[in-house]
Amino acid sequence: MFGLQASSAAASWVVGRMGTDAHLYDDPEDASIPALLDSRFDADRIDALKRLLALIAQGVDVAHLFPQVVKNVAAQSLEVKKLVYLYLLHYAEKRQNEALLSINIFQKDLSDINPLVRAWALRTMAGIRLHVVAPLVLVAVKKCARDPSAYVRKCAAYALCKLFDLLPEESTTLEEIVDVLFSDNSPGVVGAAAVAFKSVCPNCLALISKHFRRLCETLPDIEEWYQITLIEILLRYVIARHGLVKDSVMFASNLSLVAQGGVTVDTMSYTQPTSVGGISGTRPNIMLLRHYIEEHPGCFDREDDKFSSPSVTTSTNDDVAILLKCTSPLLWSQNSGVVLAAASVHWIMAPVEEVKRIVGPILFTLRSSPDAAYVVLGDILVFAKTAPLLFAPYDEDFFICSSDPYQTRALKLEILTTIASESSIPAIFEEFEDYIKDPNRRFVADTVAAIALCAQKLPSISSTCLEGLLSLVFYESSITNSVHLDGEDIVLVQAILSIKAIVKIDAASHEKVIIRLVRRLDKIKQPAARSLIIWIFGEYSSVGNLIPKIIPPVLKYLAWSFAAEVLETKLQILNASAKVIIHSAEEHLEEFKRIMAYITDLAACDLNYDVRDRARFISNLLPCGKTSLNENDSTCQSHSQDIRKELADHIFGGKIPTTSHSDSNYRIYLPGSLSQVVLHAAPGYAPLPKPQSMELIYHTIKLTRDTANSSESNNSNAESESSYESGSVYDSESEGGGLSDKDATGSSQYPNDDGHNLHHRQDNQEAPLVHMYDDNVDQGQTGRNVEDNLSSLISTDLTELMSKSALESWLDEAPALPAVQESMQKSIARVSFTNRSFERKPKLHTLLDPSNTSGLSVIYAFSAEISPISRLLVCIDLFVENNTTDQLTDIIIKSEEASISKDEMDQTSEGSASIPTLAPVEEIRSLAPQQTVKMILQVHFHHHLLPLKLSVLCNGKRHPAKLHPDIAYFVRPLPMDLNAFLCKENQLRGVFEYARRCTFKDHLQKHGCTEESTDHTDKNLLVAQSLASKVLSNANVHLVSMDMPVTFSIDDASGLCWRFSSEILSTSNPCLITILAEGHTSGPLDLTVKVNSEDTVFGLNLLNRVVTIIE
Amino acid sequence: MLQCVFLLSDSGEVMVEKQMTAHRVDRAICGWFWEYVLAHAAGDPSKVVVSPTHYLFQVYRHGVTFLACTQVEMPPLMAIEFLSRVADVLTDYLGDLNEDIIKDNFVIVYQILDEMMDNGFPLTTEPNILKEMIAQPNIVSKMLNVVTGKSSAIGNKLPDATASFVHWRTTVVKDASNEAYVSIVEELDACVNREGVLVKCEACGDIVVNSSLPGVPELTLSFANPTIINDVRFHPCVRFRPWESSQILSFVPPDGQFKLMSYRVKKLKTTPIYVKPQLSSDLGNCRVNVMVGIRNDPGKPIDSITVQFQLPPLIASADLTANHGTVDILADQTCLWTIGHIPKDKAPSLSGNLRLEEGLAHLHVFPTFQVKFRIMGVALSGLQIDRLEVKNTPSAPYKGFRAQTQAGRYEVRS
Repeated sequence: MFGLQASSAAASWVVGRMGTDAHLYDDPEDASIPALLDSRFDADRIDALKRLLALIAQGVDVAHLFPQVVKNVAAQSLEVKKLVYLYLLHYAEKRQNEALLSINIFQKDLSDINPLVRAWALRTMAGIRLHVVAPLVLVAVKKCARDPSAYVRKCAAYALCKLFDLLPEESTTLEEIVDVLFSDNSPGVVGAAAVAFKSVCPNCLALISKHFRRLCETLPDIEEWYQITLIEILLRYVIARHGLVKDSVMFASNLSLVAQGGVTVDTMSYTQPTSVGGISGTRPNIMLLRHYIEEHPGCFDREDDKFSSPSVTTSTNDDVAILLKCTSPLLWSQNSGVVLAAASVHWIMAPVEEVKRIVGPILFTLRSSPDAAYVVLGDILVFAKTAPLLFAPYDEDFFICSSDPYQTRALKLEILTTIASESSIPAIFEEFEDYIKDPNRRFVADTVAAIALCAQKLPSISSTCLEGLLSLVFYESSITNSVHLDGEDIVLVQAILSIKAIVKIDAASHEKVIIRLVRRLDKIKQPAARSLIIWIFGEYSSVGNLIPKIIPPVLKYLAWSFAAEVLETKLQILNASAKVIIHSAEEHLEEFKRIMAYITDLAACDLNYDVRDRARFISNLLPCGKTSLNENDSTCQSHSQDIRKELADHIFGGKIPTTSHSDSNYRIYLPGSLSQVVLHAAPGYAPLPKPQSMELIYHTIKLTRDTANSSESNNSNAESESSYESGSVYDSESEGGGLSDKDATGSSQYPNDDGHNLHHRQDNQEAPLVHMYDDNVDQGQTGRNVEDNLSSLISTDLTELMSKSALESWLDEAPALPAVQESMQKSIARVSFTNRSFERKPKLHTLLDPSNTSGLSVIYAFSAEISPISRLLVCIDLFVENNTTDQLTDIIIKSEEASISKDEMDQTSEGSASIPTLAPVEEIRSLAPQQTVKMILQVHFHHHLLPLKLSVLCNGKRHPAKLHPDIAYFVRPLPMDLNAFLCKENQLRGVFEYARRCTFKDHLQKHGCTEESTDHTDKNLLVAQSLASKVLSNANVHLVSMDMPVTFSIDDASGLCWRFSSEILSTSNPCLITILAEGHTSGPLDLTVKVNSEDTVFGLNLLNRVVTIIE
Repeated sequence: MLQCVFLLSDSGEVMVEKQMTAHRVDRAICGWFWEYVLAHAAGDPSKVVVSPTHYLFQVYRHGVTFLACTQVEMPPLMAIEFLSRVADVLTDYLGDLNEDIIKDNFVIVYQILDEMMDNGFPLTTEPNILKEMIAQPNIVSKMLNVVTGKSSAIGNKLPDATASFVHWRTTVVKDASNEAYVSIVEELDACVNREGVLVKCEACGDIVVNSSLPGVPELTLSFANPTIINDVRFHPCVRFRPWESSQILSFVPPDGQFKLMSYRVKKLKTTPIYVKPQLSSDLGNCRVNVMVGIRNDPGKPIDSITVQFQLPPLIASADLTANHGTVDILADQTCLWTIGHIPKDKAPSLSGNLRLEEGLAHLHVFPTFQVKFRIMGVALSGLQIDRLEVKNTPSAPYKGFRAQTQAGRYEVRS
């Protein structure tokens, strides 16, 4: 019976495989592929091509057959064509010269009568990306954009995106084609045009204004993928054009904020919702807005008035109304991406009372697209934090199913905690009680932490919570004693942590809980749990009426068990007994001192030096026992006694600052963006444009179009001085470049990084010493925060990923080397210039313009100096000049963040480590008219590319200014010789290597003027010098070598090669830059810039920067 | 912008690699990803993974992992939805999805991927159009291939639908049998907590239409009680206006079977069956007793009832028997009780004893019971189709209606 079944299954399997291409995949090389390719029969060629495809699928490099395959592009059979195209697209970039052979055929195909053939030809021709043929492709795209077939026009739009990479200088022509495609009457083409728009000219919103209404109306008809893109474009357009909506969530509370006169609204207030149509509007809303438009901090500094009164409402502005109207049916889309995109438009733009319509559709996607749940929940969490009441009625949608993966559960728990209210908390609690029995103990620990958060938020339930947690502690301690179970420890420790967190709010009223916990001490064996309880005992030993009564027996018990404890518990016992002594009343003091002396005696003989140190420290600070006996020098003694007493009070009696949980280091990005999921700005992430900035952008684009860097001109600095231009371009493109994610990970990645220490210190600002070892407890606390705070969770993940060992593991399979390497081999001879010194002409940026500041002008330039204070600091030369006729006095420069950071720490919502810090600068007492003074500013940027906000005080007036960091100065020169360079470069291959192409035109102008006079100078030398000095003037690197090709044609510059070395300030990882030229000195040079660095994200950013410098 | 799509087998082997843009992704990333998956086996790897060089999106279907890479900001849901669409299209094309099927049909997989995405952005994703461009492998073409050694999977003509406004429908539907079937398929989600209280009970339904109509038909579907519906989402063919104004579905259907609409009806009052688990543990033994019975007769037979639960950890031995149906303990410590339908004469019950591991007196974690059942002919939410009108067809078509309810996430905690 079974045999029969098996054989029939096998038979059906054979039948299933019959006639498929299974045999080709299983054994692609059992026939001679070259022979088949040359066959006269289509069937043979198809067979060969399928075998090649199988080899590609299996990761075998079959590029060597390229010439034979390319020949077949002329085949008539569509199937052969398609297979050849698949192969071509895979290898064309590697075999550029051979790929050129196919161009003629494509051109012929472009005028084929079959639209499918035309479309394929266009797709492939643009897809093989040859610089040489880019102009031909442009012509083809122009033609195809007016093709009768909509499918071909659609492909033309896609080809535009490909072309943009190759021909950035033709962006005007490309924009015109986008314009043509936007006016198409087929919805599919309009959609594809939106995709092209996004990659070709995302900031050219003027183009949208022409088509806005029609685009909105076609929105429901186009395909879902285009809807996602087009919604985003339209949203950006409306914001740039009309600004934000007055009655939207963003401004739900803005007025109250202004009434309170500034930014100091206490952080806790938002937990008590002040209902405005279902939205609890307070500070987070404005924070949210700040996050969404992050790039333009200027709007908050200078344009407060403009910002707090956006002129638009949905009822008066047609464009906003029509956008909302056309996106609302999309909330019913079957594609969760469309739903979320439409929802975010409503979230940002809709009036408060209409925002609730997005809730149902978003929640439905959790059920209907389970794959999307994780992403959607992340966005819901942000929504819920801003407007908890919006989601409060839907708590049951966030109840956890047994099939939910861990990440989903963690997010749901956090959302439940956020939306819990007095009315819903009983139901949520019943759920939490059930979760405690869940087999996934990590999740249980999270639930226990969530209970504490709920109790902190809603004090009315705290006693119920404590009862529950206590019984959990008792239960857990009883089972962990009998058997060792994986994961039970974390539940127990978390339960005690939660108790600690709840008790902290009002210790006196919960003293019975503390007593019950302490009485349990002999049953709890887990060291972390024990030390937590001992900490609680010590900390609250003087609170209430009952606790002081139990001190003597407990202290005796602790003294008795001291020798058997582990390290962390011993330290806690020492701390706790010290605290008891400090707070105890007179009548017991003697007894306590005796116990204390016993404990310190024991500790003084401990094996562990930390314990011995602590014992010595405490016995010196709180002399009890022996020292108190010899009182010969009483006056001196009493004096030092006083000091000690005060010291001890400070150390052990310091109150722990109430830390507001998780919100402070929570970064928010636009809903539905990748950055929001990974919680750092992904490369290419762009915040919303500045409200009502469109006219400005439009003008600057027009203005700068003639200059080289027009396409990337960014609206952020559009209005600022033109000297910022290059800086702002750079900012905009690498803002997301991952430097900020360095920050997210930085603190743990570089344990000796200053930022980390700083962060730590600021956490414990109030009681700096007590935490020396008390942070057993404190670390537990942060540990919990880490667990329920997703951002840190992911960032720790990242650290792990970024770690060297993880990378090395897959470095072994050295990936293909980029083109640079290959072409280097052909260099004929090498003339190296290493000893040439080049003049460095650092670029000057304006910090303060004399016209705005009544005559004080400040100019800065990054300097190559190395800071004498710390190697992490970047030196900046400041030139302060007095342009007035009067004396200027008291010029002080200080950082704005630093002054705010003390009290604003919780509110700025960027971790303290991310704020650039400024070494103090001496002030200039007075400055005579026309006098210029040079100062040196030393800044620690923490690898941050956000501008550093400074305020310059002069004559008592404060002038805000912004210092734009330059990544090229986050490195310092690393002198090495060529061999060392090449050796290092070889170690940093594969994922550590990034290359980009660019063109160099500077020498053309120079030639123009020098040609007559220095006819005999080698032009190559000139080029080489001009590029080297340009790089050296703009980046803090060391020129290792400059290779010049020896050729017969004087004009040929191919093979010119520069090598620069540097190391990253913060990590001291080497960062190598190689620039290789191609082309003739008479025309623009094609350069390939390559950066090798272990720090890949930094490397990529530096690469982009170097390219900007060169261009 | 997706730079690359990989299809990985259950063992982490790269089956298909399709580079989408010029920024090529080395397949070493798959090795990294697989190590990540293995490291997170217990905690379910996330759908969006940050690797040292790329952001990765993954969708897992029937042993095949669809992995996409990007380096730049893009809507993550676009990537995830696209990968699930690829999975759906491939399942539709190849009948099923598993490692062998992908490898056997790798040429078609490549052709589909190439057509579905261009330059990292979705191009043609509508299954009906794809099928005209790339022929579906069927028994005839396979035989032809075996006998003559040649067959072309590539359509030689551009589908007309690419140009039309109803991009989901091929303009000329040949040999239509002039029928339209509408079926309501509902899943009942319920959650019963440890006290036996019904915490949550809702029905998630799909309206699946199978149409085979000539020309460009206009269909109108209306419900008798549309107000009970809480949430909806529609196939792109549904027009929004009529729904907004009068809750009527008006659409031009694609040819063949498709999901017209999904909906959710919340806050249902009862479930058709009850499952009452009792676990009591004492002295290292845990007595298990599970009772199943009909609570609220839907009027149609309830069949394919199963109850499944994960045995708690630290169980030395399990001895479970049922008075009806069969009890299996599967390899992953799951106990599956297959009941079928409930007999008239007795109430099915499962009882037995779990022996806990040495030193453990009580059970400290309790399993959740997953219940499955199926009822033909009834939509438990109570949603009723009022009528289906078909216009613009040469002759009156045959219309058919069906309903079915099955358990979705039906969980009983103990």
